[in-house]
Amino acid sequence: MRTERLLIGLGKALAVAAILFWSLFPILFIAMSSLKPGQDIFAVPPKWLFTPTFKHYAELWRSWGVFFEGLLNSLLITVGATVLAIVASACAGYVYSRNSGRWLGASLLGLIIVRLIPPIVVTLPLFPIVNWLGLSDTHLVLILLYATFFVSLGTVLMRTFMDQIPRELDEAAAMDGASRMTILRKVIAPLAMPGVLAVAVFVIVFSWNEFLFAFIFTATKAKTAPLVISEMIGSIDGVDWGILFAAATVQLVPVLIFVVFMNRYLVAGLTAGSTKG
Amino acid sequence: MQLQRTARLLPLLAPVHLLILSVIVLPSLYVVWLSLNMSSFGQAPRFVGLQNYWRVLTDPAFHSALWNTVVLVVVAVHLELAVGLGMALLFASGLPFRRFLLVAVLAPYAVSEVTAVVMWRFLFDPDAGPITLALRALHLPTLDWSFEPSHAMTLIGLLTIWLHLPFTFVIVYAARLAIPAELYEAARIDGATRWQAFRRVTLPLLGPAMLIALLFRYIFAFRLFSEAWLLTKGGPARSTEVVAIYLYQEAFSFNAFGPAAATAWIMVLASLLLAGAYVFLLKRGGVAHAH
Amino acid sequence: MSYKPEAKLTRRSFVVGSAGAAAALAIPPAFAAGKTLNVLSHKVHQTVLGSGDGDLMAGWRKANDAEIAFTTFDSNPLQDRLFREASLKETEYGVGYLIDNRPTSQIAALFEPLGPYQDKDAIEDFGDIAPGLVQGMTVDGKLIGIPVRHATQGLFYNEALLEEAGISAPPTTLEELIEQAKKTTFTSKAGTPVTGMVLASDLAVFPVMFARAYGGDFISPDLKLVPNREALEQGLAALRGMFEAGSLPRSYATTKNDDQVTWLQQGRAAFTVLPFARGAQLNNAEQSKFPGKIKAVPFPGSKAIEGKMPMASVVEAWAMAIPKNARDKALAWSFIKEVSSKRVTLGMAINGNGPVRVSSYADAGLKAKNPLAAVEAKVLATARGAFPPFPEAARAQATFLEEVQLAVLGRKPVKDAVSAIIERVKPMMPA
Repeated sequence: MRTERLLIGLGKALAVAAILFWSLFPILFIAMSSLKPGQDIFAVPPKWLFTPTFKHYAELWRSWGVFFEGLLNSLLITVGATVLAIVASACAGYVYSRNSGRWLGASLLGLIIVRLIPPIVVTLPLFPIVNWLGLSDTHLVLILLYATFFVSLGTVLMRTFMDQIPRELDEAAAMDGASRMTILRKVIAPLAMPGVLAVAVFVIVFSWNEFLFAFIFTATKAKTAPLVISEMIGSIDGVDWGILFAAATVQLVPVLIFVVFMNRYLVAGLTAGSTKG
Repeated sequence: MQLQRTARLLPLLAPVHLLILSVIVLPSLYVVWLSLNMSSFGQAPRFVGLQNYWRVLTDPAFHSALWNTVVLVVVAVHLELAVGLGMALLFASGLPFRRFLLVAVLAPYAVSEVTAVVMWRFLFDPDAGPITLALRALHLPTLDWSFEPSHAMTLIGLLTIWLHLPFTFVIVYAARLAIPAELYEAARIDGATRWQAFRRVTLPLLGPAMLIALLFRYIFAFRLFSEAWLLTKGGPARSTEVVAIYLYQEAFSFNAFGPAAATAWIMVLASLLLAGAYVFLLKRGGVAHAH
Repeated sequence: MSYKPEAKLTRRSFVVGSAGAAAALAIPPAFAAGKTLNVLSHKVHQTVLGSGDGDLMAGWRKANDAEIAFTTFDSNPLQDRLFREASLKETEYGVGYLIDNRPTSQIAALFEPLGPYQDKDAIEDFGDIAPGLVQGMTVDGKLIGIPVRHATQGLFYNEALLEEAGISAPPTTLEELIEQAKKTTFTSKAGTPVTGMVLASDLAVFPVMFARAYGGDFISPDLKLVPNREALEQGLAALRGMFEAGSLPRSYATTKNDDQVTWLQQGRAAFTVLPFARGAQLNNAEQSKFPGKIKAVPFPGSKAIEGKMPMASVVEAWAMAIPKNARDKALAWSFIKEVSSKRVTLGMAINGNGPVRVSSYADAGLKAKNPLAAVEAKVLATARGAFPPFPEAARAQATFLEEVQLAVLGRKPVKDAVSAIIERVKPMMPA
């Protein structure tokens, strides 16, 4: 009996070690390599002991100023898309949560189905339209795109979370003469905070990391960080892996920390978004 | 009354629906028009009917792209589900530092595709990658992904599992946590072994969640692009090309917008077919919940 | 590529640098001038124009009270973006960099004919710009681009590795090259496994060079598909043989242009084919383990063509073009004129650009800075593009490469691959 328990414990420990290795090793190794002196990066066998250097970060700062501009653009676009997606989803989610009807049901189903269209499909026709509207290479176009590809999921999530808020609260506020907007802002929104945060995690991670749309719809002024990294991969300098790893690390760390702190909402959002959707 | 209600609700619904309509629905319909024409840079569109669809559907390169996509979807997604299920059960069986472990498992969710490819390409570099070297040192077979198409597909599959395992795991794990402990208690009293409890209690109750995770992943794996493109560009000799890469090649490398648009709509239809199955299951699941 | 001496890492720059997004806020606004000229180019086009004190365009900026804003992409995405922009009603870009194998009649129609500009406000000593390159940018009798850079392919070798393998002189025939590549497939004294030669598999350049070494080609300048079947077969068989012998990397199918640079710098390969202008980068002490040891010679032809015909190396040329729908074409032309001047052409050459002016090669400063200038000038004399432009050229190249890869990897006999190339590419050729 005791040996069996010991064996089970050992098996579990091994499984946990495997899981940790699988999930974290690629991330940690890249972060570590960004601190290696240039010629050690490709050393055979790999060097585990080395004097860390911030040389690649300095070089990144010196010769890839555009990367830091990209980070700023990513930040602006992420904030914009998140605010837009949350406001739009909360409004619609509130309607779907508190009302029902044939048309409403059908339009909600429509939202869910549209979400399944592959994004690459709309890149072909959108390019001329975006240009015609004079929106090419603006932050706005990416904000609109990123928000749009998440409002359907956002709406469904908000509805699910708002369904859990008792209707009596709205009714009481309505009796006090509050308008629908006021009820949504003052009564529902604060209680639906977990839902708001869940939507925020999705949109933020997506907007911060997205590549395809950024590649097609931006040029100089609104270029995002992932796009700059992909340019670094293709740069004629011969891939300078150290700088590339440094850039990848800088791009990754903020969103990784964010996901770590928001993991509860991410889990709640994933669960609600797929099973209730 | 009905009209009044609609008028009151419309301002709240409008933002979401306007966004979807103008950014996704209308452009998708425009793609239909594009798919019925021949066009390229500096060349006026010419109506050709369904010719583009015919051309794509009879192109051997499209067949191989479709085949690769299907293999990838079927193998990678099911493997991912199996691993996700195993991990969910491991977590549910009680682990120390569970919160920390959960966060570690979620970490790849934060990684962008571009960065993930940089990582994996380097780790599995056939000559200097640390994983390759470690495998070689242990006399284990290495991934010869730059030479063997099947190895390249394996690496693409591993990468896509790495990026999406957090999703599958969370869905299954949440469903597992929702199973009341009393059920296992009852099974134990009835003298069921661990295996029997798993077969009779866990699996049936996890079924719906696993199906949903599967369908979601089918739909998302079907549009897989960045991983394959950035790792192999579809090579060697177009042998690891997937449908989205085929579309990209037609549109952006060969500037043949007609066939590209036709491919796009073939993708949309396939996704909608999968989506139909999903909605059907949801409806049935909804009924089941009502009981 | 010129590198400035290592910057001192100040505490401040590190703190700010690591603060990521917050740091970007600290960047001062880049533009202060009245006008902005948007340029769509490859990163290297921007780099060779210099920056800071070495900015070759400083005078032009001042004189025109204009800023230059570069948008840079890798070659293929760059061309795609340029054509997209030029297809719109109006574009923000005044100047786009165009590769010489892209302008078909349809593409050329998207760009401003430059003849009238040249008549009105001529570029300094236009006759000095290599006529062959100007010819490549003349489509349907109209000059649509001014050549600005050429990349002529040469054979680079690592002198130290050759010595280790007991080879005293670089090859003068293709047969010798194959032999030497075999000999340098070994483990070097440093313990690094060395592959004789490294070549990218996603560019037509290399198989075309091998075909030309036997007097053949993929598509000739007068649009003949595989003008000499036997020569192409010999070329592919040579590549296949090298792959079999291990003197091409096993990862051939995913090897890219950038890998060639890394492999040479790291001493993982002894030979490669790259533009001569890459010499400086390959020998850069900060990146390379063999600074000063990586040298170049003309890519050799086979014994079969020795004395009969010169080896026609591949040259890729870039030109500056003005989209027809550009806003400020006058400013764009003024930029092109300045970049094409003798002074800037020479300055760019010293920064590692392949100069389009014959006179630049005579400059003592360039000769001192770039020891390969003389060889390059010689190879350029007989070089030509990898294949001529035609509407389905991109698809033809992709098909060609697919079959070449199958043959080199041994999945298809060389003869069958060549048959497939002829059969599959034929329908793509212009009528």
